[in-house]
Amino acid sequence: MCGIIGCVGRGDETLDTLVHGLSKLEYRGYDSAGVAMAGDSLSLCKTSGKIADLRDALSKTALSGSVGIGHTRWSTHGPPTDSNAHPHQDCTGDVAVVHNGIIENYQTLRDELVAAGHSFTSDTDTEVVPHLIEDALAEGAEPEDAVRQAIAQLEGSYAIAAVVAGTEAIFAARHDSPLVLGLDDGATYLASDVPAFRDFTDQVVYLSDGEFARLDESGWEVTDSDGLVVEKDVDTIEWDPEETGKSGYDHYMIKEIHEQPRALRQCLRERVDEMAGTVDLDDLGDLSPTGVQFVACGTSYHAALYGAQLFREAGIPAQAFLASEYATSVPPIGDALVVGVTQSGETADTLSALRAAEKRGARTLVVTNVVGSTAARECDHAFYIRAGPEIGVAASKTFSSQLAALNLLTLGMTQSDEAREVINALRELPGDLQRILDESRAEEVAETYTDAGAYFFIGRGLQFPVALEGALKMKEITYKHAEGFAAGELKHGPLALVTSETPVFAVIIGDDEKARKTVGNVKEVEARDAPVVAITDGQTDVHRYADHVLEIPETHERAAAVLANAHLQLLSYHTAAKLGRNIDKPRNLAKSVTVE
Amino acid sequence: MDIDTAVVLAAGEGTRLRPLTRNRPKPMLPAGNRPILEHVFDALVEAGVEELVTVVGYKRDRVQNHFGPTYRDVPVTYVTQRKQLGSGHALLQASEAVDESVLVLNGDRLIDAGTVSAVADSFAETGDPTLAVVERRETSRYGALQMHGDEITELVEKPRTDDYRLINGGVYAFSADIFTAIEETPRQEGELALTDTLERIIEQDRVRGVEVDGMWVDATYPWDLLTVAREVLSRGRVVEAARSDGVWIADSARVHREAVLQGPVVVGQDCEVGPDAVIGPNTALGSNVTVGSNAVVQDSVIDADTRIDPGSTLMDTVTGQDVHLGASTVVPSGPADVQVGTSIFEEQRLGAVIADRARARGNVSFTPGSLVGPKARLDVGVTVRGNVEEGAEVTR
Repeated sequence: MCGIIGCVGRGDETLDTLVHGLSKLEYRGYDSAGVAMAGDSLSLCKTSGKIADLRDALSKTALSGSVGIGHTRWSTHGPPTDSNAHPHQDCTGDVAVVHNGIIENYQTLRDELVAAGHSFTSDTDTEVVPHLIEDALAEGAEPEDAVRQAIAQLEGSYAIAAVVAGTEAIFAARHDSPLVLGLDDGATYLASDVPAFRDFTDQVVYLSDGEFARLDESGWEVTDSDGLVVEKDVDTIEWDPEETGKSGYDHYMIKEIHEQPRALRQCLRERVDEMAGTVDLDDLGDLSPTGVQFVACGTSYHAALYGAQLFREAGIPAQAFLASEYATSVPPIGDALVVGVTQSGETADTLSALRAAEKRGARTLVVTNVVGSTAARECDHAFYIRAGPEIGVAASKTFSSQLAALNLLTLGMTQSDEAREVINALRELPGDLQRILDESRAEEVAETYTDAGAYFFIGRGLQFPVALEGALKMKEITYKHAEGFAAGELKHGPLALVTSETPVFAVIIGDDEKARKTVGNVKEVEARDAPVVAITDGQTDVHRYADHVLEIPETHERAAAVLANAHLQLLSYHTAAKLGRNIDKPRNLAKSVTVE
Repeated sequence: MDIDTAVVLAAGEGTRLRPLTRNRPKPMLPAGNRPILEHVFDALVEAGVEELVTVVGYKRDRVQNHFGPTYRDVPVTYVTQRKQLGSGHALLQASEAVDESVLVLNGDRLIDAGTVSAVADSFAETGDPTLAVVERRETSRYGALQMHGDEITELVEKPRTDDYRLINGGVYAFSADIFTAIEETPRQEGELALTDTLERIIEQDRVRGVEVDGMWVDATYPWDLLTVAREVLSRGRVVEAARSDGVWIADSARVHREAVLQGPVVVGQDCEVGPDAVIGPNTALGSNVTVGSNAVVQDSVIDADTRIDPGSTLMDTVTGQDVHLGASTVVPSGPADVQVGTSIFEEQRLGAVIADRARARGNVSFTPGSLVGPKARLDVGVTVRGNVEEGAEVTR
């Protein structure tokens, strides 16, 4: 998604600092980038394409000043072109603005501005902002007030940073889109996401909705919408920025797949007590819900489907909803606990769903990876998956950690005869997952089916979300057609798609009735000449019908889901690598989707 | 110290440490409860090195994944040696990453910061290639050498005579000229050993030696990890918090209050130790190890994710990762004759070496000196004698 960086107080290094910050935001996905520097006058450089293209353009442009803002854009209004890239300017060229989010009333504002004689050069919603500031300045407002007046007219979601010629300051505001300040001796930073300035400081201040910030040589000040100073806490970021390096791996995604044993250890750390057979949910207290509604999108939705099933197994009514649908048509909530699952804690659809639930008086909890994220701050409770930063746009380790965290949540909130068995399986999970990483034959399988027409994934019960996630990963990074189905649904339609060109990946765990029925489904596709790849612990005779077997060790079916998924991650990764795809930044996708 | 960059050679498997190297190279085997390579990095960081260039090859993922992009705030970069064609060839892979003087180290031996500084300081005096020299009674496993003053006059790999008392410590300082010198060295059977290049330099020019007397510990065979652990524990080279003299326990570990820890002993992150278990002395538990109630673990190295079920007794035992030993497993101590390939090592003090992911279902006994391969499955009540192959099933 779009990224914002701003910097005051680094003198001649300001421009380099901005471009460095943009490169650290690359992982969010973008299609254009730009920077603006403010001194006595304003200078600006922007381009469609990569940060490298921006560096090229900068080498031909003289930008100067000790205050600047920068942006990576991911297109929402208008195609990725130079003119649609941020920063955007007003008619005089004295104002520059960068923006994340969507300004919903932009068309009305734009019509009014055009009628008043302003000329626009882009298709973006953002461009109304510099023109509004221009009008306020023309009426004699001080720069800070001019920015405030402009922002007061906006509806929608935004994180905005603006600079004005002749004023060595950055003005910023947020509503429903993240912004964070970074504090260093003599320098102050502003960004949509901490990695942008994490190389320079670990001291941060998170802005809240409706707050306004001013950054200048003398420091920083946060005010509310009435202009009253807000006392803000300064937080210290603990993770290491260098975790954003690829450390010898070809892609972040494969690095992150290999980090899963460690990520799982962190998730479980000091939360499970195997000897006592208990789980400690940090300071969540006693929530004992009578019902649970999960809201989530994408990969997190698949984790939510899994989580809902765990609660149902414990006798608690639970459902998983796609967050965007939930927000559109909120179901009756009753006494249910509404649980958002979002890696970034900034997913706009999930935030909307949580807000809709809160508005109806529901208790909310978020399962997230990012401390201090909007969801973590807005929900009544936050439970952290502790996976560490994930750079690859396609989620890998965070899905595994979400599943582990949802197990902890269920164990901590419900009574189960299986608790000891599950805790035991969770403690064995890091070692079991390392075994998959050491021994998986997914690369050979990927090689065999690189040219397949489509990929189908089937599973039953807890393995159904794994099938969905396997297919989503395949779509995301290989751009090939892939679908996940509940194994039992196959013969109710999708079987018509199955041919000798469409390998079917079947996740089969244990030898209970579920597993035996899925083996039956495997026979159905095998009879139609489809190649079959079984992901299995070998307890059924599925190997007799499968062309390939990806083995997982015997363990509890809850842990088996994480292990089966690891094979499927490797399968997608190696398929995408063989196809030469842009694995860490697949086309059209963004890491955290902060627009609805 | 004038040299900022170190190249650490960590690409080789270390075949003499099989079967423990099935899934990782020797530098990633445990010295105590941390990889050997971590101790090497510690020495370099403490000596003031600012960039760690690591040559990786065999199972390189394990190295990259463990250290990531920094170690103790020092950047770590990785270069890959695709085929393991000798130490000179390995170093050559790093030439792109190095443009000035450089320290070069083997990643599979424990050394200390003093040795690193001594080599760097000696190198700074003349700029000649310099290496650390260690005194050893037994030189036949190593590169032996003769010195005249501070100049090295002869290098001999694994000498067959007893005439030597000094060995090559595997810590070097070179100018960037070393890369040309390696390229000019003729390959021996396709391989380029760094010592071949040094021998040529000795003939034509000068190689300096600097005698060091700091820690210098090498594991040649799997059971050597037991003495390595003793050395590491006796020097307190652990990262866990000290609870009492010689007892270190990670904050995240759960040790039952009725368990007994006899120092020196270290308990890693996320471990669980049950009531009435007795651990130590001279024992290291890696992360996420589970030791059940009433189990006894002495003079042993237990690697990550391993489970030792209640009532088991392990003496002088090395386990790999993710080994499961069922209830009442018994591994008594040696001395015993250990067979590796066709060689017999007599009178070794060894209970057993049990490689990654081996499973003993319960009530399994080991005769001293047993070597159990990865993923071996030992059925209830069996007695293991001698060597068990990878993946083998032992049934009654």
